[in-house]
Amino acid sequence: MKKQSLLLAALALSALISQHAVAAGDAKKGADVFAEECGDCHSAIPGKSKKGPTLTGVIGRKAGTVANFAGYSDTMKESGIVWSADKIDAYITHPKKVVPAGKMKYDGLEDAAARADVIAYLSSLK
Amino acid sequence: MLNSTSKRAVTSSPAKLLQLVQKTLCAAALFGLSASLAHAVPSYARQTGSDCASCHVGSYGPQLTPYGVKFKLGGYTDSDGQDGKIPLSAMTSFGVTQTGKAPADGSAHKTNSTSMETSLFVAGRLTDNIGIFSQATTAYNERTVSLDLLDLRYARSLKLGDNEATIGLSLNNNPTLGDPFNALSQWRFPYIASKFGQDNGVGAPSPLVESLAAAVYGLNAYTFINNSFYAEGGLYNTPSRRDLVGVNGSDMGKFKGLGYYGRVAYFKDLKRQNFSVGLLGFNASLQPDRQDQSGLADKYTDLGIDASYQFLGNREHIFTVNTSYIKEWQTLNFTNSGLGSDNLKNSIKQFRLAGSYTYNQTWGLTTAFFDTRGTTDATLYSGSLNGSPTTTGYILQADWTPLGKESSWGAPFANVRLGVQYTGYTKYMGGSTYNSLDVNGGSVLRNAKDNNTLMLFLWTSI
Repeated sequence: MKKQSLLLAALALSALISQHAVAAGDAKKGADVFAEECGDCHSAIPGKSKKGPTLTGVIGRKAGTVANFAGYSDTMKESGIVWSADKIDAYITHPKKVVPAGKMKYDGLEDAAARADVIAYLSSLK
Repeated sequence: MLNSTSKRAVTSSPAKLLQLVQKTLCAAALFGLSASLAHAVPSYARQTGSDCASCHVGSYGPQLTPYGVKFKLGGYTDSDGQDGKIPLSAMTSFGVTQTGKAPADGSAHKTNSTSMETSLFVAGRLTDNIGIFSQATTAYNERTVSLDLLDLRYARSLKLGDNEATIGLSLNNNPTLGDPFNALSQWRFPYIASKFGQDNGVGAPSPLVESLAAAVYGLNAYTFINNSFYAEGGLYNTPSRRDLVGVNGSDMGKFKGLGYYGRVAYFKDLKRQNFSVGLLGFNASLQPDRQDQSGLADKYTDLGIDASYQFLGNREHIFTVNTSYIKEWQTLNFTNSGLGSDNLKNSIKQFRLAGSYTYNQTWGLTTAFFDTRGTTDATLYSGSLNGSPTTTGYILQADWTPLGKESSWGAPFANVRLGVQYTGYTKYMGGSTYNSLDVNGGSVLRNAKDNNTLMLFLWTSI
């Protein structure tokens, strides 16, 4: 019981740290990160899909559900993921670990601060 | 450039044959461009949903970004998942050119205003693994349509242990057409050049590998491992005269045996910046006269090294540098036996360097240097006063590309580039003065700087 409590506490702390890292992102810097890392394949314009779906409104969206985008893998559509900040953080750190058979050809972004910045930018898109 | 690898008629008349050989060797495109100017293909943007600026530096073809490199090596098949995209595009260009002095052969005025080329592209995804890039063009002063460029590709991705690889096949009509980087002849600066910028009668030589656009057909196999290691090998041959006539291709003569093309490169995409370094090799024996029964052919061996660098950052300030050096060894069995050259063995060395800056993917400045040298051969380079083909100079260009971005008006249909380009020659065929041709085919002294060219151009595609 004691071990379980410690484990839960550790998980909660980890989640808190993760949320904190995302929350600390700078949306202005994130716009640059988006241009450098994401913008060739994803648009920030509502309803505009490229090789990947628009990322406007991605926070809180269920994966594989952008209506006018037909390029999703079955794995992505069936993943059940709802894109929260920490889920996006995990996904863009190493996409194939989160959606192993996904179509996105992206190796991942190692820089945690840059991930936080781009997530802050994505959160700002309405 | 609407370049000087112009259509050549085959003849067995000795005088015309010598002229043919000299044209083959000497009047190949100075800047190594193919039979048409470089390319802007909005049908790819419509297919992928991406803007032109995703694939091209400066929002207009052809200088590729890493995204464009991967799209090309993927066989032009990436898409936004939507069906029903029509793989058709069109392009046209207009130019006003002022040269230092009108050509002595009377082929043009000092100032010329004309449409330069109009092209139709079939370019896009055909199946999940097959795509095409092809261009048919009618050029200034030509009443025919020629199949300038053809690159039909099959590509697929493979997982090799922990490594990811793209492998592919390309059926094409130009050895460097399939190259994904920005330093070799088909794809390097200048992407547009004046028809009137060079002396059409006398010109510096180019390596054979850069002079075969629309004159050969070949099958290449390539691989791109971990988005870094690129290797390509191809076999080339010359079409029959009848087949060339069918597509209005360039007749350089015929190969004796096959031509062998090889290319390796290392590419590193660091997102904010990227670079590539590569090696190139080509070997072929060319018999300029198709009817000749002697069995003699001129042998060419080309070896080259090239490098590219791009700083892309957040795309507001983009810097690029592209450079190449190619040396060609020639054994002129055919030409020398017909007294078309003094030497049996010659060589040429070609160096190119271009650097560009682009602001907001809209405003561009480019500076380039070209330098071609070769073995002294007074007969082969009869236009030269000292027998040297040395031709050196520089190109300056400023351009404005208002469209082609994600939120641009008319995207992805409307695309336009306006620019001004100046080409200056410091040496032309061996020095500051050379022998050009007059209206009667005789020789007349002309200064290198007489070929200096100022061009205003409008280049548009849909």
